[in-house]
Amino acid sequence: MSSPEKKRKKKKTTSTNNPSPESSPIASLPDDLLLSIFARLSRLYYPSLSLVSKTFRSLLASPELYKTRSFLGRTESCFYMCLVFPSEPNRRWFTLCRKPNRTSTKKKKSNGHVMAAIPIPHSPPGQWLGLVAVGSDIYNIGGGSIYEEYSSSVSILDCRSHTWREGPSMLVKRNCPAANVFDGKIYIAGGCEDNSSSNWMEVFDIKTQTWKPVMNPIAERCESIICKSAVIDEAICVFGHKGVAYNPKEDRWEAIAELNYLDLGWIWFTYSVIDKGLKGLPKFADHCRVKLADYGAKMAVLWDKYLPSSGYQNKTIWCAVIALERRNTQEMWGKVECLDAVLTVPKSYEFVGALSATL
Amino acid sequence: MSSNMIMLKSSDGASFEIEEAAARKSKIIANMIEVECVDEDKAIPLQNVTGNILALVIEYCNKHIVDDDDDVATEEASEEEEEAKKKKVDDWEAEFMNSMSLETMFELLLAANYLNIKSLIDLVCQTIANNIKDKTPEEVRKIFSIENDFTPEEEEEIRKENAWAFG
Repeated sequence: MSSPEKKRKKKKTTSTNNPSPESSPIASLPDDLLLSIFARLSRLYYPSLSLVSKTFRSLLASPELYKTRSFLGRTESCFYMCLVFPSEPNRRWFTLCRKPNRTSTKKKKSNGHVMAAIPIPHSPPGQWLGLVAVGSDIYNIGGGSIYEEYSSSVSILDCRSHTWREGPSMLVKRNCPAANVFDGKIYIAGGCEDNSSSNWMEVFDIKTQTWKPVMNPIAERCESIICKSAVIDEAICVFGHKGVAYNPKEDRWEAIAELNYLDLGWIWFTYSVIDKGLKGLPKFADHCRVKLADYGAKMAVLWDKYLPSSGYQNKTIWCAVIALERRNTQEMWGKVECLDAVLTVPKSYEFVGALSATL
Repeated sequence: MSSNMIMLKSSDGASFEIEEAAARKSKIIANMIEVECVDEDKAIPLQNVTGNILALVIEYCNKHIVDDDDDVATEEASEEEEEAKKKKVDDWEAEFMNSMSLETMFELLLAANYLNIKSLIDLVCQTIANNIKDKTPEEVRKIFSIENDFTPEEEEEIRKENAWAFG
């Protein structure tokens, strides 16, 4: 190698005799090259990079960047969390990112992850069951709480630009319905006043942007209030007091056991693990809230802890990202990839949901 | 395989001889050769590339043209051989990028962009990306030698919104 400059570090420090260290300024790069550089970085770094300059800020929020990422095959799962703070009418959204300058956070085994607040005003009401991610969009479907009215509204958060847009309304007004994505379609169930067989479930075709009812033959098992739902073995499983499964490919409906009697893998864990803790993670406090969420092929565990230094007025939200590996049909192993205190919140915050979009 | 040599001339007047096959890594030069606007005795003038950067570009092209030839010769190479070869190229590229300053890297990127050498653009972009990963906004500004162009009010607003980054 015959390069003239070997040690740039040294060069930098010795150039202090110049009035300005950048007396021969670096050629500025055109936007397409900057985009090509940004696209190669994990999105975890974007919030920090967008503080650099106006150009950086606007490029990092541009549709072109996401085109470049997908062109280069650099899309990844990005984790989002939604909370309500006391006496605030609007939801707050956060995204997992990495704190810059990690040299100062050497303590413990912190990985320097934090939840960065996303500045989106007027986020619509919603609840976890009605939140689903499709590609780079997060859909917020139906009304959000028992105090709120039934609603047929669909709001879509574009995670590239962090802006909300209205989607086509559902056919039926719903409060706290459950949404699931299967085969390019969003299935929404429950939450309606009238649980008749044409009302209870409807489906949204993302391609055609249209809603259609899904007729069901077992209306007597279909409940308005839904506790949990998931896609398991190609079937949309919805649980209230009773359980219902719908297989869209075969258009087959089935009554299934309620959640308590089912061995559903880690769906089940959402309930059972809470007071015992997870191996490899710090012990959860008795009164803490624990949430499991999907983070691409990984699992995110969120829990909170009182912050004594705030006079117990605030809580810290912790986040662990766990890589999953299925060893055989029975066993699933997890490896804790990172573990961080990601956000400080007022103690009476309300947890709405957490999920990941692909960007 | 053609062993035609062609001449390239940098913006500061330095001339370089390069195998045509290597020069064809640049789509711009390949195009020039296609449309026969390359005079055998005349050097191709590259107004946007200085001599020291052009030397690096040529070093890169020469290295990669050899690899491409190997690929043709040993088409039935085993997987391990393929892997070993790939590792060798990766190692070479890592050392190549390591040997230069960030300033040089930026100029090399501009040259690769101008000459349209895709694999070199990819390599330099990735290296710069790795370099700015864990840097603070202030450090990134230094690397790109750009000014903080937010007004004090905007910056205050940003700091408020992004308390997480400054805590």
